[in-house]
Amino acid sequence: MSNMLVKRGIAVSPGVAIGRAVLFGAENFKVQRHYTSKAEIDAEIGRFHAALDAVCADIEENQRVATERLGSDLGAIFGAHLLMARSPELVGEIERLIRVETNTPERACDIVLNKYAKLFSDLGSRYHAERAQDIYDLKNRLLRQLLGKRRQELSDLAESVIILAHNLTPSETANLKKEFVLGFATEVGGPTSHTAILAGALELPAVVGVGDFLSEVNNGDIVIIDGDRGEVIVNPVESVIAERREAQKKSDANYAALEVDRTAEPITADGERIQLLGNIEFPTETEHCLERGADGIGLYRTEFLYLGRDVEPTEEDHYQAYCRVIDDLGGRECVIRTLDLGADKVPTSNGMFAEVPNPALGLRSIRLSLQYIEGFKTQLRAILRAAAKAPPGSVKIMFPLISSLYEFRQAKMVVRDVMDDLEEAGVPFQREMPLGMMVEVPSAAILADHFATEVDFFSIGTNDLIQYTLAVDRGDPAVSSLYRTGDPAILRMIRMVVDAAEKSDRKVPVTVCGQMSSDPKFLPLLIGLGIRRISVTPHSIPELKAVIRRLTIPKSKDIATHSEWLGLSRGVDNYLQGELFKICPQVGH
Amino acid sequence: MGGESVSRTVTVRLEHGLHLVPCSRLVKLANGLSCDVRIRNGSKLADAKNIFDLMGMAAFGDQLEVIASGADAEVALARIVQLFESNFAE
Repeated sequence: MSNMLVKRGIAVSPGVAIGRAVLFGAENFKVQRHYTSKAEIDAEIGRFHAALDAVCADIEENQRVATERLGSDLGAIFGAHLLMARSPELVGEIERLIRVETNTPERACDIVLNKYAKLFSDLGSRYHAERAQDIYDLKNRLLRQLLGKRRQELSDLAESVIILAHNLTPSETANLKKEFVLGFATEVGGPTSHTAILAGALELPAVVGVGDFLSEVNNGDIVIIDGDRGEVIVNPVESVIAERREAQKKSDANYAALEVDRTAEPITADGERIQLLGNIEFPTETEHCLERGADGIGLYRTEFLYLGRDVEPTEEDHYQAYCRVIDDLGGRECVIRTLDLGADKVPTSNGMFAEVPNPALGLRSIRLSLQYIEGFKTQLRAILRAAAKAPPGSVKIMFPLISSLYEFRQAKMVVRDVMDDLEEAGVPFQREMPLGMMVEVPSAAILADHFATEVDFFSIGTNDLIQYTLAVDRGDPAVSSLYRTGDPAILRMIRMVVDAAEKSDRKVPVTVCGQMSSDPKFLPLLIGLGIRRISVTPHSIPELKAVIRRLTIPKSKDIATHSEWLGLSRGVDNYLQGELFKICPQVGH
Repeated sequence: MGGESVSRTVTVRLEHGLHLVPCSRLVKLANGLSCDVRIRNGSKLADAKNIFDLMGMAAFGDQLEVIASGADAEVALARIVQLFESNFAE
């Protein structure tokens, strides 16, 4: 039995990294001496100021390096740290503790900064919890100076490793040396923490908010950080290493070459225009999609608005995020998927998380939205309002996990209700709002012809469709080898949906999102099955475009027919890999 | 000091609210002014010259009241309002 461990967290910076783990322990300064003698007070105040000056010089250096390497916006984070360090309130309070209470500078810094950090943590919001981290960062810098200790320095690393930590402070993240750090994962942290933002800017694969896992890892263990899927895999089995290594190789080696194709349109060699859209989680990723030439956003996952907080997001939270994406897109398509989480992950109005016996088959996604209708309406109101400034029809709403027509009709009715409410209240909103669904439950694929008479678009979510069709949980190492994207049952499902959509009077468009569409070896197959729209992780856009431009429709059709005939999924995988190599060797090696 | 006190309502239009970096820009501006500047968010009142005070307020998409009192309060108020309106551009 292998001791592979798969943990899920929040993907904050894309890419795959494989390497040996270095555990970066939590810093725990023990302040030994609490009090000083009256005679030494002036000397102690001097020692505090010397430490403060050294810390400020360090922060200034961080600011300079961050500004130079990452731009002034990120450098400004350290500018703010500097302002905190030099703030008269802070300095005054520490001085007072030394002078009046005869505390040692160590003790005084510890008390004052802990007080501020605790003040923020106690306010309870994620915003404040993350600001508390900024303050702890400052405290540790001061104590390190005062105690003359050097932290195990990340810059001392001599070989490339994966950093695993309970938490990394923004300064530690900015100091990571790209040549020696392959990627990192932390137990805590949210998508808006400065650490996450810096990781994205450094383009290091990173996953945060993994939960407790450090006790299960040893220094030197092989670890995979998958910054696309938000996974940390400890002691992966050979087949998993091979699979991810392939992904890693492709992403680094060919990336530079393919970047050249950026401005080229995704048109097949025989002139068929393929719509290439991006999947995003955070509003900031819109830019990543556009700079790689995406036609728009084909899947905007809105879960980040709900994760890592203990109150429901407000309409304004939703609205701000959607506006940001819509503004950046400048009229391009934007498909917003409503909440796609299990009841066990969403705080309800009373701040409780529900207990769910079988989350995959339980109260989740659209089922949850239809049950907690108020939260659903809040999200829909925000989408309809934000879409008011976009061209009619460019913003679309997509419902996840639809398993029956009845469910889709219910969801559609809620949208109408919300429109009526907005109308009555005189709030501007978008009236022309295409409504579509994810096809990820087998029942939806089987009844695609029925759905096609009522929906405005389909989007095939391959991850869940595979899980439900093959009854395999990919996260469970005991059965993960049974999870096969190229399984003939999956290919038939996709063909059924495409056929039903083509035969419908309205010619319902079909998109494929999910991991399958981001993997270039499946692209010829999907196009051969009749797919003309794919939505993918932003950084795979250049290589997919390169494949599209070398492909012809008849060749794709041959590949699809042959794949279906092959029958065995292992055979399909090998065959597709071989075909990809023939079509586009740079991508398919 | 002049003792005059003036106020205006501003809206925070930043994606992450009055985050650390915009807070620090506000403090830098306020520190250069000779009058008192306070920011009110509902029942919470913060000293615009105190970064920790401002951070504790964490205003997200909120309507805030900027209150300036003392010498040249009008001019000071206009500069603070302008910072909000420029969305904290530096």
